[in-house]
This record gives sequence, C-alpha cells and structure tokens, in this order.
Amino acid sequence: MKLILLDEERAETVMEFRPVRYRPMSVRGALKEMKKLSSLMVDLAYSSVLYRDHDLAEEVLELGDMADHLSYLLLMNASLVARDKRDAEQIAGILKAASSIHKMAGAARDIAMVELQGLSFHPSVQEAFKKVEERLVRTTIQPSSILDGRRIGDLKLEVSIGVDIIAVRRGKTWHVAPRADFKLVKGDIVHARGSDVGVGLFDRLGRGELKEVP
Amino acid sequence: MAAESQETLEEMLVELKDTSELMIDLAYSALLLQSKDLARELLELEEYFDGLHTRFELAVIGRKGNSIDEKGVLGLIRLGFAAETISDAAAEIAKIVLLEIPTHPVLRMAVTEAEDIVEMSHVREGSILDGKTLKELALEDKIGMKIIAIRRGLKWTYNPRESTVIHAGDLLVASGYAEGGEPFKRLASGELREI
Repeated sequence: MKLILLDEERAETVMEFRPVRYRPMSVRGALKEMKKLSSLMVDLAYSSVLYRDHDLAEEVLELGDMADHLSYLLLMNASLVARDKRDAEQIAGILKAASSIHKMAGAARDIAMVELQGLSFHPSVQEAFKKVEERLVRTTIQPSSILDGRRIGDLKLEVSIGVDIIAVRRGKTWHVAPRADFKLVKGDIVHARGSDVGVGLFDRLGRGELKEVP
Repeated sequence: MAAESQETLEEMLVELKDTSELMIDLAYSALLLQSKDLARELLELEEYFDGLHTRFELAVIGRKGNSIDEKGVLGLIRLGFAAETISDAAAEIAKIVLLEIPTHPVLRMAVTEAEDIVEMSHVREGSILDGKTLKELALEDKIGMKIIAIRRGLKWTYNPRESTVIHAGDLLVASGYAEGGEPFKRLASGELREI
C-alpha cells in the first residue's frame, strides 16, 4: 500500500506488511492492549494535527499497524474459545467491543492523515486548542539524563511537575501506559502529557539539561 | 439557532474533540459497570454530537474562501468526520449493554484500567451540591471523584473551573476510584447529606 501525499516534494512512503500468524494469547490481554493502543492513537492523532507534528502522525500510523495485527490475533484466539451457545453469546460481546475499539483506531489514523497529507488549516484553529489543551511532548532520553535507569514510579513526575508518561517507545516496541515499576533507559522515546511548563521541564530532564526533578 | 450561530468554528472543533474523547471514557465505564443509565446517556450524547457535527460542517463550508483555503476546508471536514466515527464507535459499545448481550467477565476486566471509572448523575433539588462551587466541594480530595464535565440544558462544559457553581438539574460527569462512584451518586441525588 502506498500513501499518496499531496505535497509533491515529499517522497511517497511505501508501507511494509508483517504477515499475521496465530499465536496463543489471552483474549483479555489482547482486548486490553487494543483498548490502550486505540486510546493512545486518538490522543496522539489529535495532537499531531493541532501541533502540526509530522513525526507524531507517522507514529500513529505505526501504532495503527499494531492495532490491525492485534485485532486478528484477538479474532483467532476468541474463535478457539467458543464451544456452545452460551460461549457464543459471550464471545459476540467481546468481538463487537473489539471491532468498535478497532474503529476508533481507524479514526485516529484518519486524523493523522490530515496532517500527513498537508491539509493544514487556519492558525486560529491551533490557537483555539492551545488555550484549552494540555500539551503532549516527545522526548528521547539522552545518556546524560538523570532519567536513564530510573523507575517511572520513583520519579513522581505527576506530583512534582504535573507530567504523566503515557507511552514509551523502545526501538520497535511500544509500552503503552507503562506501569510504575517500568524502568526508563537511554534511547527511549517518551511521550508525556502535562501543562506547558511541566512538559518543558520534562523535555529538559530527558535531554540531560536539567539535573534534578524540581 | 441564534445562540448557536455565535459559536465560533474553533470552539465547535474543540467541543467535537472533547465530546468524542468523553464518549470513549463513558463507553468503557458503561461496559465495566454494566450500567444501562450510563449507556442511555451516552446515546443521548451521541445525538447531541451529531447536531454539533452538522453545525460545524456548515460553519466550515461557510468560511470557505473567506479565511480558509480548500485544503483547510478538507482538513477540517475530515477531522469532524473522524470524531464522528469515534463517537459512533463509542455508542456501539454502549449498545452492547443495552442489548443485554451477556458480557463475559473478560470484557469487564479488559476495559478497567486500574480502578478508574466514570459516572454520571443529575443534581436533584435539595442536594447539598446545589449552589456550591467545585472548589468548596473538593470532591476529588474527599471522595476521590473529579468532575470532568457538566451538562446544563443542552450545553456541555468540559474540564470545568474550580469557580464553577453547581446547580440543581445539572448533569455531572465524574471520574475517579470505583469506591467513589456510590457516594458521588448519592450526593447528587440528595440522599447523602454530607461529604
């Protein structure tokens, strides 16, 4: 599949597809993961448009591929569970919820495409959002950062600077809504949410410019 | 329509986004709590959303060429449409509850993130919430529930300020710990007389 971009100077992006093969996983785990993924995608997608962030929009598409993959694994594993009419009724609810959640992920992808296709709108729109929105920030943890090697829970960022870490990308792996015992390491790309001031401080912590949590 | 037309396109877009995001939270909570009330409220919110979406589209078309170019119009229309898709998907989740599809415990376990829930309740006459500001009530400190949205008549307010005064008839949406859900509803109904 090709993404045709309206801006001609931008090269066409060719997407790669990873074949889906059955892998045993709990239906609960798959559904929970899909819910987390789609919520993160909606969050990042709106931000990518409002802040004209092209890279962020591309990350949304990447997360979308993960959601597609996961939706197949969920279908496969759920199909193996149903044995009688009662099971079928219960599985129907799960599959319906999963398909609605998948639809939200698709909508997030459409939002990100608005940015990727260069359908930018009037600056007044961005201004309107800046007034009411908390900001999202994306920071790469530098080797000199004090965040390297620290557990999220120990940093208490939410209390000290009002910043919440919503996702961490490590290479090709995404950790959505990481738990308190999740340890950050250098090279991690951290997505965080908070006030203008808070995300500014967090960014400086990640870059290694700020040597302690205020 | 006169009052509505004063709404700017920017305000409508912010509201579309906020409403679609609130609907996602409400949908998961309806599923988790198996609450038909919450599910019905969500369907009403979806109708409200549809009206807002139409007004937004008309406003976008009305501004075409005036202050927005073609690409801008297309971007805004697509954004509105995507928010609509999210709102529809949230309503579909609520319908699972209304259609009494037996929900597997897995479904409820999967949608609960820690113990956070969203609850809605109308403020009845005689409730001790009536006439107080959010700051005075400090519900977040006392029962662990934060008011995230208020509906007064047809108007929704998201992330209300501390100075906002609650009135009888308001529909409050609160998010927080599962244990805070019951006290919150009983406070709004007037059953519980102190926080």
